[in-house]
Amino acid sequence: MNTYLSQVKAIVWKDFVTELKTRELFSSMFVFAILVMLIFIFSINLSIVDANQVGPGVLWVAILFAGTLGLNRSFTLEKENGCLQGLMLAPVDRSAIYFGKMLSNLAFLLIMEAFLLPVFMIFFNVDLVSHLTPLLAVVFMGTLGFSALGTLLSSLSSNLKTREIMLPILLYPLIVPIAIGSVRLTGQVLDGKSLADMMNWVGLILCFDIIFISASIMTIDHILEE
Amino acid sequence: MTESKPSPNPGQAIQVQGIRKHFGHLEALRGVDFELRKGEFLSLFGPNGAGKTTLIGILSALSRPSSGTALVAGYDVKEADPAMRREIGVISHASFLYADLSPLENIRFFATMYGVESAEERAIAVIDEVGLKPRMHDRVRTFSRGMLQRLSIARAIVHNPSILFLDEPYTGLDQHASGILKEQLQALHTDQRTILMTTHDFSRGLDMCDRVAIMVRGKLALWESADQLDPAGFERLYLEKVAQAGRG
Repeated sequence: MNTYLSQVKAIVWKDFVTELKTRELFSSMFVFAILVMLIFIFSINLSIVDANQVGPGVLWVAILFAGTLGLNRSFTLEKENGCLQGLMLAPVDRSAIYFGKMLSNLAFLLIMEAFLLPVFMIFFNVDLVSHLTPLLAVVFMGTLGFSALGTLLSSLSSNLKTREIMLPILLYPLIVPIAIGSVRLTGQVLDGKSLADMMNWVGLILCFDIIFISASIMTIDHILEE
Repeated sequence: MTESKPSPNPGQAIQVQGIRKHFGHLEALRGVDFELRKGEFLSLFGPNGAGKTTLIGILSALSRPSSGTALVAGYDVKEADPAMRREIGVISHASFLYADLSPLENIRFFATMYGVESAEERAIAVIDEVGLKPRMHDRVRTFSRGMLQRLSIARAIVHNPSILFLDEPYTGLDQHASGILKEQLQALHTDQRTILMTTHDFSRGLDMCDRVAIMVRGKLALWESADQLDPAGFERLYLEKVAQAGRG
């Protein structure tokens, strides 16, 4: 178990060091997310519509679109110089590779969201501070499911020539339950409701988080082979 | 139908029996059989597409054979036992190294993956062994092809494997870099490691090996002890074997 954990930790560490040196992933994800928000800001008249109603949708579209950029890079990095093959030669459980990549994707997304939320608050003039704890819980649950499924599909699509196209095609239909749940929960949190009043949506997102992680553990062996 | 499996022989590092590999309709390996004793160096020659890389892929448990069996360090490659993975190191024309990390970060990472104790110290030791200690904090992206290949050696031996698979290690190297690589491979061989090297370079391949094999169209066309071969006439023999197999 110790070896397993140190292998997972080493993969996360390796991704972080690479990102600290290149700053490619964070900058591209963050700039893209800001651009998505800007486009919506200019197309929505916030004096007519309620920011608490449309804001969550815009926030999650920005997160999912920008996150897809990051996920696409995730396994492409492993393909450069045949690094994934090098990793596969080592006595590493394939699920450790998955968890390492998934945790680093999750961490990058959460960091990006930490910068994005204040921008969202300013653009949409919504009060996030008074609902911060439930909002962070919703963002974490949604991002966890997105990273879990996204990492699996990124490993699958990285073998394809059309990986940049295939990842969103595979990912977006499957992520719909989490996307809808996260948008609805974010909207209701901004309206001042507590998470305890929305346990059906919380349960839905958590169920899909567990399903995506379990399915990934069961299939990653076959996906990474050959 | 059950496949007969060679019984593990402690004297043998690699035992291959009837290995076949299909990619759809293409038969990349068509029944390969051989045994390599511990500490032996096999140079495997063959034209492009002969199946050399496919064979190394199977022996290093990166892919599964369609049929047949192979034991590496006594372990069945189909089971891809972690203990077997600890016994093998692979050097290929791809470096398997992260371009934006330094040599120290790369080798320490792979040392951790192999569960090496004191990963940092061991990483520094093997980087020093391949003569790259002065550059161990630079980004790998800035390295020449020759330096990359030396660093690949460090990556492959960081866990001290008893068997090394070298897949065309001289590809893209200039004369100077080839000379350095040859010296390092010789040093690895004197450490009593079993080495299987595929190459197109007759002189370098014949220079170091104990056994010579030629693979053509997925089968071994020659298996001979290096002592029994005349290096001067090897090119003619190779061309004959390739032509014979092409007619067959």
